[in-house]
Amino acid sequence: MKLGLNFLSEDEKQRIHKDSIKILSEVGVKFMSDKALKVLADNGAKVDKDSRVALIPEEMVTQALSTAPNAFVLGARNPEFDFQMPSSYTGYTLDGAATFAIDFETGERRNALTSDMIASLKIFEELPLGTVVWPNVHCDDMDQGNYNEVRPSFVSLINSSKHIQNELHRPEEVPFMIEGLSAILGSEDAVKERKIFSVCYCTIPPLTHDGEMCDTYLELAKFHVPILPYPMPAAGSTGPASLYSDIAVANAESLSALVLFQMAVPGTPIIYGHAAGITNFRLGTFIEGAPETTLINGALGEMAHFYNLPNTQGGCLSDAKVAGPQAIMEKALGTLPLVLSGVDVINGIGEVDASQLLILEQIIVDNEIALMCKRIKDGINVSDAKDYYNDVAQVGAGGHFLMQPSTMKECRSDEFFQPELCDRNTFEQWAELGNPNIYGKAREKVKEILAGPQKNPLPDDVIGKLEEIQRKADEALSH
Amino acid sequence: MSVQDIFNAINEFRDTEIVNLVQAEVDAGTDISEILDNGLIGAMDEVGKKFGEGLLFVPEMLMAAQTMKAGLEVIRPLLADSDTKPRGTVIIGTVKGDLHDIGKNLVAMMLEGAGFTIIDLGVDVEPQAFFDAAKENSAELVAMSALLTTTMPAMEEAVKLIKDAGLPTKMVIGGAPVTQAYADKISADGYSADAPGAVELARSLIPGD
Ligand code: B1M
Repeated sequence: MKLGLNFLSEDEKQRIHKDSIKILSEVGVKFMSDKALKVLADNGAKVDKDSRVALIPEEMVTQALSTAPNAFVLGARNPEFDFQMPSSYTGYTLDGAATFAIDFETGERRNALTSDMIASLKIFEELPLGTVVWPNVHCDDMDQGNYNEVRPSFVSLINSSKHIQNELHRPEEVPFMIEGLSAILGSEDAVKERKIFSVCYCTIPPLTHDGEMCDTYLELAKFHVPILPYPMPAAGSTGPASLYSDIAVANAESLSALVLFQMAVPGTPIIYGHAAGITNFRLGTFIEGAPETTLINGALGEMAHFYNLPNTQGGCLSDAKVAGPQAIMEKALGTLPLVLSGVDVINGIGEVDASQLLILEQIIVDNEIALMCKRIKDGINVSDAKDYYNDVAQVGAGGHFLMQPSTMKECRSDEFFQPELCDRNTFEQWAELGNPNIYGKAREKVKEILAGPQKNPLPDDVIGKLEEIQRKADEALSH
Repeated sequence: MSVQDIFNAINEFRDTEIVNLVQAEVDAGTDISEILDNGLIGAMDEVGKKFGEGLLFVPEMLMAAQTMKAGLEVIRPLLADSDTKPRGTVIIGTVKGDLHDIGKNLVAMMLEGAGFTIIDLGVDVEPQAFFDAAKENSAELVAMSALLTTTMPAMEEAVKLIKDAGLPTKMVIGGAPVTQAYADKISADGYSADAPGAVELARSLIPGD
């Protein structure tokens, strides 16, 4: 059977759901957007105009859950990479928006650049479990004073043929984004149908919604763009100091986003997600690679199952400052439980230092962690097909199975995972090879991919159109 | 009873006892500046030191600060009569376009704990608002926080506004993407990577302490 794991019992899920409803209906949620407050008031929420807090009754949650789709496909520019949600296996998101990157040539830690993002996308294109691209760095070489989110979105669409997930910050960005997607897909209807672009929506913990981003997404919802509500409370500072109550508040935040977008445009695809952290009590900083973050985000993934909604959870994360043992330990320990519990998409490939530092080699290392976790999740196939009793009878006591046809067949099958990075040489071979290590091998792999051609490029004329739309966007959106 | 008891109560987070302890010292005729410098602020300097060394956790440090504030309230009416002045006024906020506030809150709470008067403008603060608040309050220091690369230019604007107008207010900056190099580039008076560092910075920049 496939391996499973539960973070919460049925009773505990019910209890958390009730707690979240109580938070929504009695404490309420603050919305900085007038439009959002109007949508909520029109649909039965009690809104206090001065505090901007909406009390959301249980019926609105029930109503929202009835219109939110339980399944949809996250399309990709290359349909081979379309990703059905919910998924039968766990896919991965390239972790987003690091401020810094390790320079692949010099090893220096510096501000991240567009070239880092393009290199990352080329590598990510090759990962079998890599599903969703979040523009993974904040490109310091893009004009910061006159910045718009259309830029990293277009760079991603040009350099990756997988599903792109970014955020937009201003309503005025929407028409340019839709125009760009239409240029790629041929029509606005295809944009609605194919869903090759989705957005991440960070609520502001505790219990607050941004104004501009909210207005932007109310616009985007009209184009059936999937929305990933993505609360990031830190238990102990922006969230309460028990995992249980932190989960209840984060769940309430996600439900409040679900309610808003379902009331505004019923049927808006929602990816139920969380990237919760904990507070580093020594400094106040945000910790991602802790055992507790795995428990919180894993439990919230189960709440998504409870509501029958596809999900994305933060995982495969680390607080290490450099590539190395801490990064691998935290990422592996944080990924496996989420995979076992059946999370659809884990967000966290390629970065360390709490998503602030991109390391190209880490993308390859995380890929191997993901593949190993998948092998464990796939479990033990106890079926007739794998029942080799006849071999046992034939070989009998003593002897070996090396020459059995079944061994010949299985040695390269999914039954046995073959690592690319973990060393399985003898000591002598390993020494002979110059003591290779995981990151060294990952580095070779990165070099190989970067030296190769770009896979699935966009036709030149479409790139030209995107560049033209970008020029218009830069002009129209300048501050 | 002694000023040492006040010092100890703060270091042990005994917020319910502090008022009586400070009142007792006042009644005993102890010099106000002695209570303030060696009791209240002295204790917070010790707390700040322990926090910097990783011996105290944030909630403990904040509890100590709250204890100190309760004690300060007792002597505040008397401060005007003595030569002792609080450490200076700091305007703080997260810059325009940026809503991250935990780092800014931490810095504000630590500065307050260290005896500075804090005016917190919140998040998404326009450069002009920093300028106006600095001018109105004759603030010694403006501290700005940014967590997004795209909002860092708003720091430069605020620095420029205040410097161009010739205000004596010092400008300091911080936040995860901010660096000393950036502070130098925009001619800010200082940068710190964390909250205890911000307290050190404030102390070094505000004269007469
Ligand atoms: C002298 O004055 C001084 C001195 C020192 C100062 C100072 C001022 N200010 C701070 N310090 C210093 O002292 C503090 C204590 O030591 C420190 O403060 P910090 O603020 O650095 O540290 C805090 C104590 C803890 N740190 C934090 O709370 C930030 C943690 C991370 C994960 C983070 C969080 C939690 C949030 N976020 Co946001 N967020 C990230 C962060 C990634 C990371 N690991 O840092 C970052 C900063 N976010 C980012 C982004 C892109 C965004 N976030 C957004 C939203 C949010 C939440 C609302 C969900 C939430 C904030 C909640 C809140 N109430 O503050 C969106 C923008 C909203 C907006 N308009 O501001 C959004 C656009 C959406 C998104 N992708 O998440 C990235 C920025 C990339 C960039 N370089 O521009 C980011 C690095 C995450 C990432 N990898 O994508 C020091 O820097």
